[in-house]
Amino acid sequence: MSPAYILKRILLIGYTLLVVSLIVFAITQILPADAAVMMLGENATPDALAALRLKMGLNDPIWMQYLHWLGGVVRGDFGVSMRTGQPVAPAMIEALGRSLLLALFSIVLMLAVAIPLGIVAAVRRGRAADLGVSFLSYIGVSLPEFVTATLMVLVLADWLQWLPATGYVPLTEDPLRGLKHLVLPVLTVSMILIAHVSRMVRSELVDVLHSDYIRAARLKGLSKRQVLFKHALRNALLPTITIVALDVGYLLGGVIVVEEIFALPGIGRQLIVAIQARDLPSIQAGALIMATTYAVANFLADICYAWLDRRIQYD
Amino acid sequence: MPRIHRRDFLAASAALSGLAMSGIPAFAQTPRRGGTLRVSVDQAVSKLNPLVTRVNPEYLVAELLYSSLTRLKVDMSAEPDLAESWTNSADLTEWTFVLRKGLTFHDGSPCTSADVVATFEAILDPKTASPARQNIGPVTKVAARDETTVVFTLSAPFADLPVTLAYLNAKVVPAAVIKGGLEKLDRQAIGTGPFKLVSFEPERQVVVTRNDAYYDKARPYLDKIEVLVFPDVSAEASALISGDTDLLSTTPPTEFGRLQKASGVKPLRLASGQFCNVNFGCDQKPFNDVRVRQALALTVDRAAMVDFVTEGFGSPGNDTPLNPAYRFYADLPAKKADIAKAKALLAEAGYPKGLEATLIASDRPGQRTQLAVALREMAKPAGFDIKVETMPHATYLDQVWKKGSFYVGFYNMQATADAIFSLLYTSNAAWNETRWNNVAFDKLVSEARTTVDDAKRRALYAEAQKLMYEEVPSIIPAFFDLLAGQRDWVEGYELHPRGSVYRLDFVSLGANAPKRG
Amino acid sequence: MIEILRRMLRSPQGLLGLIIVSLIVLAVIVGPWFAPYDPEKMAPLMRYKPPSSQFWLGTDQYGRDILSRLLHGARATVVLAILATALGTLVGAVVGTVSAFLGGRSDEAIMRTVDAIMSIPSLLLALLIVNLLGKSSLNALLAIALAFAPGMARVTRSVALAVRKQDYVNAAIARGESAAFIVGREMLPNVVAPIIVEMTIRVAFAVMLFATLSFLGLGAQPPASEWGLMVAEARRFMHLSAWMILWPSLAVALVAIGFNLLGDGLRDALNPRT
Repeated sequence: MSPAYILKRILLIGYTLLVVSLIVFAITQILPADAAVMMLGENATPDALAALRLKMGLNDPIWMQYLHWLGGVVRGDFGVSMRTGQPVAPAMIEALGRSLLLALFSIVLMLAVAIPLGIVAAVRRGRAADLGVSFLSYIGVSLPEFVTATLMVLVLADWLQWLPATGYVPLTEDPLRGLKHLVLPVLTVSMILIAHVSRMVRSELVDVLHSDYIRAARLKGLSKRQVLFKHALRNALLPTITIVALDVGYLLGGVIVVEEIFALPGIGRQLIVAIQARDLPSIQAGALIMATTYAVANFLADICYAWLDRRIQYD
Repeated sequence: MPRIHRRDFLAASAALSGLAMSGIPAFAQTPRRGGTLRVSVDQAVSKLNPLVTRVNPEYLVAELLYSSLTRLKVDMSAEPDLAESWTNSADLTEWTFVLRKGLTFHDGSPCTSADVVATFEAILDPKTASPARQNIGPVTKVAARDETTVVFTLSAPFADLPVTLAYLNAKVVPAAVIKGGLEKLDRQAIGTGPFKLVSFEPERQVVVTRNDAYYDKARPYLDKIEVLVFPDVSAEASALISGDTDLLSTTPPTEFGRLQKASGVKPLRLASGQFCNVNFGCDQKPFNDVRVRQALALTVDRAAMVDFVTEGFGSPGNDTPLNPAYRFYADLPAKKADIAKAKALLAEAGYPKGLEATLIASDRPGQRTQLAVALREMAKPAGFDIKVETMPHATYLDQVWKKGSFYVGFYNMQATADAIFSLLYTSNAAWNETRWNNVAFDKLVSEARTTVDDAKRRALYAEAQKLMYEEVPSIIPAFFDLLAGQRDWVEGYELHPRGSVYRLDFVSLGANAPKRG
Repeated sequence: MIEILRRMLRSPQGLLGLIIVSLIVLAVIVGPWFAPYDPEKMAPLMRYKPPSSQFWLGTDQYGRDILSRLLHGARATVVLAILATALGTLVGAVVGTVSAFLGGRSDEAIMRTVDAIMSIPSLLLALLIVNLLGKSSLNALLAIALAFAPGMARVTRSVALAVRKQDYVNAAIARGESAAFIVGREMLPNVVAPIIVEMTIRVAFAVMLFATLSFLGLGAQPPASEWGLMVAEARRFMHLSAWMILWPSLAVALVAIGFNLLGDGLRDALNPRT
């Protein structure tokens, strides 16, 4: 992994964000909403509207507005929310933190469940355990989040009353209640991830177990267990990292619905609220932050992959 | 069934004015002090500035943080708030309010007649865009006589002023803030209310703590109130059932059954003048033709509509916004569905082959869509081809409300007949959604407003209702009972028929309430 | 073709997927004729009925027959999802194949841009587009197609790159054929098989995405019996009747499972490994 490669990747992130900013800006410009009217309310006088338009630069040509906005973004200034009148960036960053917490818990749970499931399925290929895992994973990837979430609320929150149905309590405020509120969202988000990744682990592991290299190891007299954990697993898990990184993209889409259902004030919910209220600066900021997160996650995964890959080769 | 009280006190309140009515709570035991109450609401508290709030959760919070001159009791009469007494001139055109002594805002500054005058001047200024402007009555001038005396001059005799001054947006804010720009109140609260603002997260929760400098030394009883926002009504009900929250401010009929069954939960129900309506843009084709509106009204099976929209927790409407919960309700014959007549009217209006229209319903509360879809089916046989379009509530407020020409509205009961008429149906109504602009109707309402004689007033309002009944500026097929719920340890809470008054400073927690930080 | 079908029928996924998808296609084509009731007919006295011999799956908040609604809604749900996928695939396939054909800098530029667009989660992209165009089933279709296009472009490109190295493409280039001819006649047909596999799996995603958009109130409008909308509406009544939410949820899941299985079966059949 050369510095040049890393530099190229970073430049690519820059390019990605430039494209995303163009798309997002274009969409928010065409959205049928008059920014000045939205800020002042419908009872505003024409004079006040004209003054605000001038102040906000709404009379400038579109490309000037874009550059102006982009200039602000580069300095970390995403503008002021039309809904709340507050700067957008701090609110969005705070929301992102909550979403990342949700994502982190989900990924940890996913790894803890998906890898063992994948291993069991691969080792017992074709037998009941494999079919069971396979069946569950088909169900997992085929249930949209809103269905999983609704059914879980119905059963775990309403019928059994084990968990609160929705809401959010910061962990810093009350750790126990905070965690309780996170359980259902985390379960919902990790469900599809578990289904997806366990299938991935299984098929990679099946491939690896049939490779010459593993056969050779077995011939050398290593036990099945040793082969599995010392050699096969490492090679099989490697592609999984890339999958996990790609799943971050899914994760970010998934949190939109999950946060909406569970009233978790993360970036997904902020975005939905912003879209519904046509709060253009918030939409722009939210979409851009999501894209950045995705691009950075992929970048990190690539670096991670390259690094691990080298270690394995020299092993 | 809850009883419907006839509210025969308004004339009395004018006659009795001058006598301060004391705010003794309605229960006998001394309430326990202290504790944290968790109240759930179903929408974000986006606006904190009390002059421009417009949805129930915002009213709830504004009421905790700010005070008005008067406030509405559960029987819809006015009681003293910042004003401890009031008198009126014989012709009802000049009202004098005397403030309590030693009032202070949350920031420690004194609250005097100057603040009251500044507040009402701000309200009357169209630039503030406060809904209170059209709802506090025919006020033309507000002046301070001394530190604690405020004089309201009216353009016409008006008997309801003490009641209308309790309007949800007529909250007193500091003169200094008004001078410096009301934006300051978007994020902080400087009021005289029983609670002070601790934290404000519009989409999640608002926390308030007791105001030790509140004018009433006994109240509030609670130390702290957490207002929790639940975008999902089902989750909101679950939170109450699980004991996570103590009080549920409003719940749809679809959830009420669960509250009735849950242990430890007291379901609350009260008949009210709250309703859903179908607004016509009466200035636009095809609804500018009265026959088209009448035809659609004739397709509605109102009994079935009560079931569909309220799950039976409501009563049929007659296309006027008054029902028996209002004092000047006129008992007109119940409207019945008549498809043949509807068809004939439609043909007469020039639509023998029927009519297409798009009915917009916001997604909150859910009854709006429910009503829209039911209407679509009911109107089909008469030749109406209605397309239902739903949208998020925020989008609806920004794009359709007051602008659209065919959409489902949802309104709380108002304190008086005058208030609901001049909020929605007169030509100069604050929210003149229907643009019905009926001169005869306007005349009746403004005449009734200045009429002191009760029988005469009743006759005028009856005439006004008959006009609406016949001309159908909007279809009002059903009224809702107010539905809510509380844990059994919550004491002193009573549903208010107004639907957006809560009086949480009278609430306390029983000994069996869970301890919360 | 027959051989592929035979191989598919031999794998459990392929067989099961084929059965489920066939049933769904059957429901789409003839479902409405078999619906026992009018899906929009209200019955004030028959609300919230549990399954019975009269109403096999029960009734909803208006007393409408849920089975009839599901059968009628199959068209809206499945056909739109397939159309959206097909449209997205078409756009993506053209972009991907062109990119692969052009190669070099142009390829690099196109693919980086595609990557950039892919970094916007497809649900978010769809949300923005639907808001831009206004909410309706058609706009949801366009939004999903657009959201799918970059991913499909990527898949197509990698397959097309492999194809491009094949002799017959080089032969066409040597013959001096036009670029359009090469892309359209020589390359596209040969990248079709892997794309069909990807498409089949994507239909499952599209069904879910459609349902999600409707669930968020941005797709089909009531009283349509699109399944996602049915779930969204039933959520409000789930404490009065849990059946109302169960059936359309299962239906959405079944379609997604069916297409996922079929896709995997197809992949195995087209690309036999172990």
